[in-house]
Amino acid sequence: MPAFDVQQFRQQFAFFQQQPDWVYLDNAATMHKPQAVIDAVTQFYQRHNSNVHRGAHQLSQQATMLFEQARTSVAAYVNAAHSDEIIFTSGATAALNQIAFGLMHTVLKPGDRILLTQLEHHANIVPWQLHCQRHGVIIDVVPLTPQHTVDLVAYQKLLALKPKVVSFSHISNVLGHIQPVAQMVAQAKAAGAITMIDGAQGAVYQQPDVQQLDCDFYVFSGHKLYGPTGIGVLYGKTQWLEQLTPVFAGGEMIDTVSFVNTTFNKLPFRLEAGTPNIAGAIGLSAAISWLQKYNTEQIQQHKSLLLKEFYSGLQAIKAIDILSMPVHNAGIVALNVAGEHPADVAELLNQQQVAVRSGQHCAMPLFSYLAQQGAVRCSFAAYNTLDDVNRCLLALEQAVEILTA
Amino acid sequence: MTLEQLLAETQPALLQIKQQDLADISAAKDWQSKYRVLMQLGKKLPPVPEKMKQPHLLVKGCESRAWLMHYHDKAQDKHFFVLDSEARIVKGLMAIMLCLVNGMTSAELAKFDLCHKFDQLNLKPYLSQSRGNGLTAMAERIKACCPAK
Ligand SMILES: Cc1ncc(COP(=O)(O)O)c(C=O)c1O
Repeated sequence: MPAFDVQQFRQQFAFFQQQPDWVYLDNAATMHKPQAVIDAVTQFYQRHNSNVHRGAHQLSQQATMLFEQARTSVAAYVNAAHSDEIIFTSGATAALNQIAFGLMHTVLKPGDRILLTQLEHHANIVPWQLHCQRHGVIIDVVPLTPQHTVDLVAYQKLLALKPKVVSFSHISNVLGHIQPVAQMVAQAKAAGAITMIDGAQGAVYQQPDVQQLDCDFYVFSGHKLYGPTGIGVLYGKTQWLEQLTPVFAGGEMIDTVSFVNTTFNKLPFRLEAGTPNIAGAIGLSAAISWLQKYNTEQIQQHKSLLLKEFYSGLQAIKAIDILSMPVHNAGIVALNVAGEHPADVAELLNQQQVAVRSGQHCAMPLFSYLAQQGAVRCSFAAYNTLDDVNRCLLALEQAVEILTA
Repeated sequence: MTLEQLLAETQPALLQIKQQDLADISAAKDWQSKYRVLMQLGKKLPPVPEKMKQPHLLVKGCESRAWLMHYHDKAQDKHFFVLDSEARIVKGLMAIMLCLVNGMTSAELAKFDLCHKFDQLNLKPYLSQSRGNGLTAMAERIKACCPAK
């Protein structure tokens, strides 16, 4: 395979031709879409648009075929044992809500425990919390080490409390730290827990192998994997998907209905109420096929190089506090300018057309743990260049100068 | 510290901003100078002591936290506000807003149009981000202090 050529990669994103002046470092929020994805979505609407699973006509059969092919390609991407284990949702948040709600009504009993970690995104906290209050389920939280990674010793101790469910993120959306998910799943399984991985930031960094990980659930969003917004994936082992009570009802998910009783369709349809995001699924599948033309290791190397340059540049700027570690980092750096509010820093970067996010990044418990009011987050993708890194560093230097003048 | 004391410190600062700094912002040659002035504005307003930042004074809808206190001189029907924000740029923008509204009567306040005023001052670009920075939320909160007719 030829070496990774960032310019060739970047050229496939019309966005950068339209907005050549911007340095986009808000990739953890959402990523740009390559032409292959935009074309796939457009072509679906132009040539094949029809509803799925219900047409008497050939057009619908074609749309159904494309939609189901998308499911197969997602299944292959995460190495699911069967494509029926892939449920299309509107995103990671919807998938997490479906799992929390679904398990709460069947598997979890009052007094059961759920184990989360201190660095979770709200989407992996609040859905559990909502139902816990009502069902008398208890949430335990794994603390962090001084390096802001999950404390694996404390994790082992909390597993001894025999949680029914253990749910954690593959990669922290604030710090970028890659969790040792394989080890965490193995330990949780040994303790008899159902395991759930929030792969919102993970699925793009590394092709997840759900069979090798042996996790029970893995969820992610299409828009953080070069795909469209409004499409997400809930992978679950058949055994556990069957236990989930559907959050939504109606449409193809139903087998028979009378006012006395309703029986449900089989998986995956049972968990996909209403007309699905057909174009979104097709776009996501196009994103996956496109991405697989590149070598993951080469992409990771490119991102490591960007990170290395960024970190070394940051050392030279005074008053920068870095919250993220450079090692085991997927390409996200949370930082602050000492004594300044992150919103001010982000606004001064915005003036220089450097797009970053500031605030608490939907992870308030992490920030109260870190005792910080928030952070500026610079998140890198494979299409970012060394020039982006340098422009961000210059912009930060300028921001610090203005703030500390 | 009382609200009256804070107001007594705020009013002269606002007068200075109105007479000098607004012109400096308009005259600023580049964005850097503009932001430098903007951040100085925030510094001119007295900080609201931590003890006075009660939860009910917190203005929702801001990325950085901001607090608003209101004083209504009923005899003259004049409204006065004191505010604070964690973020300096936002505090500067809010200081400009205060210059415009402090001392207004109920009728004037009800009619106050932040968007229009900022447009006149060539500050409209700052409002486009205001859903993030909370300027609009602050303006709404200020207007909500008008006594209902
Ligand atoms: C770790 C993590 N989990 C969950 C989510 C929620 O993803 P979405 O908003 O696409 O549903 C995000 C995205 O912000 C995330 O970073």
